[in-house]
Order: sequence, then C-alpha cells, then structure tokens
Amino acid sequence: MGTTSRLKRKARGERPYFFDDPNVDKVVSMVMGLAGEVAVARDRLDTIERLLETKGLLKRAEIEAYEPGAAVMAERAAWRESYLGEILRIVEIELEAVATGDTQPYDEAIAAVEKDRQPGRARKKT
Amino acid sequence: MAATKDPNAQAAHVALPGTTHDEFARQEFVRSYKQFLVRHVHGGNRKRYDLAVKPAFEKGHRRAPKDRFEVRDVMTRDPYYQMFSALLRNSQEMMWSACQKPVEREFDALNDKIRHQRGQKTKGSLKLDSNLKTPRYHTAVDIHCQPGAYHSEFTPEDASPGMVYDRGVHIYAMGQMGPYNDDIGASIALWLEDHHPDFAPQRILDMGCAVGHSTVPYTRAYPEAQVHAIDVAAPMLRYAHARANDLGAKIHFSQQNAEKTKFPDGFFDLIVSHILLHETSEKAIHNIVKECHRLLKPGGMMVHAETPPYAGMDPFDAFMLDWDTLNNNEPFWARSHEIDLQALSREGGFDPDKEFEAMIPSALQVAEAKRSKVFQGGDFGGGGLWFIYGNAK
Repeated sequence: MGTTSRLKRKARGERPYFFDDPNVDKVVSMVMGLAGEVAVARDRLDTIERLLETKGLLKRAEIEAYEPGAAVMAERAAWRESYLGEILRIVEIELEAVATGDTQPYDEAIAAVEKDRQPGRARKKT
Repeated sequence: MAATKDPNAQAAHVALPGTTHDEFARQEFVRSYKQFLVRHVHGGNRKRYDLAVKPAFEKGHRRAPKDRFEVRDVMTRDPYYQMFSALLRNSQEMMWSACQKPVEREFDALNDKIRHQRGQKTKGSLKLDSNLKTPRYHTAVDIHCQPGAYHSEFTPEDASPGMVYDRGVHIYAMGQMGPYNDDIGASIALWLEDHHPDFAPQRILDMGCAVGHSTVPYTRAYPEAQVHAIDVAAPMLRYAHARANDLGAKIHFSQQNAEKTKFPDGFFDLIVSHILLHETSEKAIHNIVKECHRLLKPGGMMVHAETPPYAGMDPFDAFMLDWDTLNNNEPFWARSHEIDLQALSREGGFDPDKEFEAMIPSALQVAEAKRSKVFQGGDFGGGGLWFIYGNAK
C-alpha cells in the first residue's frame, strides 16, 4: 500500500484474531492507529506552545484565557462542520440517495447495460 | 533553560537510529499505550474470570477449571479478554512499526556508518560465519513479532534488525531496563558480586547476545576478563559490535549457535544468557545446557535469566503468562516454563546439587533506591525482579 518500505511489515507466522469477526480486530487496530496520530499531533502542538513560551512570544496561560470572538467562533464551527461532513460522508450519501431518487438496485444497472445491445445483433455466446 | 533529562531515556550511541519529532512522539505513544494496558486493562481479565467466567464454568462442571488449557477454552470466548488481546497484539505491531520508520529513513546512512566502523581498528572483534544455518526455531515464525526477526537481511551486510530491535526493547520494557537496556546483565553481575564476591572469571561467554545490551555490564563488573558473545543472527552482531565499540566495551562477537560452539572444552569460567532459553526448542535447550557443561572449567558457573516457571502457579495466572506463546510468536514460551530445571541440569552433565534457582533484584531498581534514598516497599514486584537458573560445575 501507499508507502514503499525497505523492511517487511508482517511478522512471519499466522496472525491471531480474537473476535468472531476478524474485521473487528482490524477496526481496533485502525482506531488505535488513529489515536496514535492524534497523540503525535498533540505532542507537536505542545512543543510549539512551549517553544513560543520560551521565546517569550506567548504565555500558555494566554491560550487558556483566550476567548474567541464571534467571527472566530463562526469560522471554527464552519470548519468543524465540513470536517464532520468528510468523516460522516457515508451517512450523508445515504440521505442524498433517498432525496434524489437514486435508489435503483445495482444489479438492475448491470442488467440495463448488458441488455443495451444494438438492435438486430444477437449476443455472442461465450 | 536546559530541561532535566529523563534518567531512563535511552542513551544515544553511534548505531542507534535517531528520531524526528513525530517519530519520537509515535514511539512515546506506543510506550504509553503498552503501559496503559499493563496498569489499567490487564487486571480486568482476572476480574472477568473471577466474577463471570469461572462461576459460569463452575455452574456447568461443578468444579473450577483444572489447568490453563481449560481456562483458555472459556477465556478466549470472553469479550473483555478478546478486546484486551486485540489491543495487546496491536500494540506489539505498532511498536515494531514505530521503530521501523526511523530506521527506514536512515537505512543507508546507518548501515554505512556501521560498515565503515568495521574497517577501523575497534575494541573487541566481530567474526561472522555465513555458513552457519539459522535454526528452525528462528525461521518458523518471526520471534516476538519483529518483522524479519533477527536474521533477515534487507541489504547486503545489513544491520537494520539490530537498529529496530535496540529501540524496540527500550519501548517494550517501557524504559524499565535502563538507558542501555542492560538491566538483566547488570542484575546478574550484581547478584554475582553479592553472592560470589570472590568469583573472578577470566573468560565470560554471553549466549544469544542479540545487540549485546546485556553483555556490556560484564565488561564493567569484570574489567580484567575476556568477554565473548555469540548469536546466530549476523545483522544483530554487526550492530552489537558497533554499539559496544562506541560504548567503549571490549567484546568479542562471533556468529555461532549456542547448541554447538567452536570454543574448546573448559574455555570459560562464566556463561550467561538473558531470556534466551524460551526462544529455542526442546532439543536446543538440552543441547545448550550440555554445551555449557562442556565449555565450563571446573569451578565455573552458568547463569541463565528467564521469566519465572509456571510450577505452582494458579491456572489463570499460567494462562495469562501463556499469552505470548499463542499471540506474540513465542512458540516455545509455554513449554520452556514447564521444564524441570534440575533434570535439565542433570541431563546436561551438571551436578544437580549445585543447581540453583532464584528471584534476584533488578540492578536498576537497587541503584534508584540508593539514589533517591527511598525504600520503595511494595513496588518491588513485576519488573523489579528477575528469575535466574544456573549451575556451578
């Protein structure tokens, strides 16, 4: 996937799965992977704050005391909304399907294109 | 303003891969993740067992589970245990991944540095044997889930498995083995100093030395002694040699199998190993003890550090200790913890009256208690003790 690697990714040996559905184990791994990346970003932010404080550019207490004004609040709310829109895309498209009448079963779409032959030409049997 | 350094942070040396800000944060996350599981999740299994799983078993069978196998049958169906296991296995995989990333970034530069050092005059020496067969217990599965384990080479003359391992050990032990990952070796050296103050070995052998992290303390404890260290994996030894040289430790590394070495009879006064035995096999463990007997001078001693045997352990505790056997690529873990060590000694040619088994204090914890002048009573279990098995000849 994605990145090229010099080392191997899997340890030789059958990997144990603990839940009845191994996909649950995989989701647990994904969630912990994401949790790790949040922690990495949080540490980075913490470093930035501390460096800024050391350089006298801000005091971290100021961050705690910071009160966003109405415009900032609105900007942040808008960002969060689009962010959630990305994460909950799957839920949103489900609604959109209903709203636009996009409810044809997929098999019908396959059948429709397969039957879409030029008149007078028999389908070759394979 | 210089920040106070964490005294147990891993000490840098020439072969240790560096980390970017985020790589380090990723490794720190894994450390916290593992610590959290130990402190807050692991114990929940005992509660689930006592309060739900065991009573349900007793209802059906009119008795408690009689051994770790019966405990396993019921616990593996418990949702809490399933989630715990999924989290623990995943933490091990994330740990190796977080240690691999910096190595991949510095792959060529670090390998070049280590190769360059081999061309220079070094303390100690390195002797590789490309004809040595990697034993099956190292190739069947990658032990403790390090992808590629100890022996895989991803480039000619590769030392990268050592780079990944050295950092991985520090995170796996959650720093509890000290800045040099040397606590097991240091603890045996301290135990020898306390219990055998007149013992002055002239030649010492460390079997299955990996990156030599447990070997180095013997060069400090016995500066007059000639110290040898062997392993079957060339990549580990390349790294170990560079590491020891940079730390100023004179060690003679060679690629050999502990079951059958090339050293002459009676060559050593002291033979040690550090959590090696459970990484081998039924046949190999017997061969290793026999080989120790052959290699020791009369009056010499072998000391092997391991985790404690299962004997006398409650079936549930044995089941939990067995987790690694099934889930962390440690196939010989369970069996190696059931072996009658006195019989093992006897079959190896040793006098079983001179066999010993002991729980010994961690050198790191002893040093910390001295430093802080605080007796840390009640906190000495867990990582604070090591189990040793050995025999004098």
